[in-house]
Amino acid sequence: MTLKVYADRMSQPSRAVIIFCKMNGIDYEEIKVHISKGQHLTSEFEEINPMKRLPAITDGRFKLFESHAILIYLACAFPGVADHWYPADVSTRSRIHSVLDWHHSNLRRGAAPYVFNTTIAPVLGRPLNPQAAAEAEPILSSSLSKLESFWLKENGRFLLGGNQPSIADLSLVCEIMQLEVLDEKDRARILGPHKKVQQWIENTRNATSPHFDEVHKVLMKAKEKLQNQRLKAAKNEGGSDMKKALPSRM
Amino acid sequence: MKLKVYADRMSQPARAVILFLKLNGINYEEVRVDIAKHQHLTPEYAEINPMKQLPAIVDGRFKLFESHAILIYLACSFPGVADHWYPADVFKRSKIHSVLDWHHSNLRPGPVTIVRNTVLAPALGRPFNPEAAAEGEKFLSASLSKIESIWLKDNGRFLLGGNQPSIADLSLVCDIMQLELLDESDRDRLLDPYKKVQQWIENTRNATNPHFDEVHKILMKAKEKRHNQRLNGANNGWGGPEMKKTLLSKI
Repeated sequence: MTLKVYADRMSQPSRAVIIFCKMNGIDYEEIKVHISKGQHLTSEFEEINPMKRLPAITDGRFKLFESHAILIYLACAFPGVADHWYPADVSTRSRIHSVLDWHHSNLRRGAAPYVFNTTIAPVLGRPLNPQAAAEAEPILSSSLSKLESFWLKENGRFLLGGNQPSIADLSLVCEIMQLEVLDEKDRARILGPHKKVQQWIENTRNATSPHFDEVHKVLMKAKEKLQNQRLKAAKNEGGSDMKKALPSRM
Repeated sequence: MKLKVYADRMSQPARAVILFLKLNGINYEEVRVDIAKHQHLTPEYAEINPMKQLPAIVDGRFKLFESHAILIYLACSFPGVADHWYPADVFKRSKIHSVLDWHHSNLRPGPVTIVRNTVLAPALGRPFNPEAAAEGEKFLSASLSKIESIWLKDNGRFLLGGNQPSIADLSLVCDIMQLELLDESDRDRLLDPYKKVQQWIENTRNATNPHFDEVHKILMKAKEKRHNQRLNGANNGWGGPEMKKTLLSKI
């Protein structure tokens, strides 16, 4: 097979690309590039993607990075991809471009640094940064509000009033799934108010089953590990004192 | 019903869209939404774009925002748009998507951060913030360096080795043009290390003139106004001696 997908399943956009490939029966080889081991920073990977980010693909001699560009390429270049993923209709397609672009500067800009700076950073050998998290949280909350009130306003099961998922649903839901690794209280506080968003996540999960859960296994394992660490820390460090300290750092 | 484009020519992505329309002879009505007067925050404008940002378009009953989505829609929907703007070839097209996406998180934040924390701060009701501006400078330099070594590596006159401009060239060059608002010496300092970038800006300007200069008139007027203020010794602009010392010492 000529298509190679360079991915780390802890990476939100990597997951979106892999789920898309599986859903559409696209033949591909997944090459794991572990961010936590710095494998994305090697000179070998730089040959694949000079920006040293994931995901990236090679299809024969063709190389491509940026997950939205990749999703669109796969939808267009491989036979048998159902129209709802990336509709041919110009207006519908434009609205998908619109939400994918909005995502970069809004949902992703809030969610990724919030999760990183409250939870994931130590896994990658970096310190937590409560200030950066505090700056990202309002962007995340405002983005979830906009999803609730605008992108999901049309009462379809998916974004933009769709009754079948598109590449935009994959991309944005995979981003929000990263919140699974947060402290349960924070996740509930942030996601709790947004009922339509929660329903839409569930709709997307069901529509892409069983691949969705399979692709998210790595993340859910990380979630479990982090939860256990929190419980242990709470017990070992004198219980109530640590519990008080943790939320105040968020 | 004519296409309506809601724009403020002080806005980089708004300029890219207007430039594209003029170059392709697309009939449109430009509706000026003045950001400095907060017209983008009115409930009337929220009907057009609930995100309250520019640009936005209305084509009949179809509304659209996000400049890259708009540029692609225009390239696909209007007859007579030459292929080089948004090639039909799936490989070339994907590369354009790639650089446009990269732009959001890489080039775009740089000039915006610098300009809004310095020269445009008073107009936006914000304090001067040399530290934020310095962060913006670092970020911008990293992005310019990537354009120089990656996006312009193929020795074409335009991004991705093209010999004719695409919508990506319009979008990215309009963003870099925002640096015209800075003190001449600061702009030169930021762009100086990047010869290919400078050449590419000039190539894009030449390929799209006279529209390029016409669309950038408002920006250049604002630049001139600031320049005169500095010459007249106004201390409320970035570029005063105290501010300069603080900024440079943080680079």
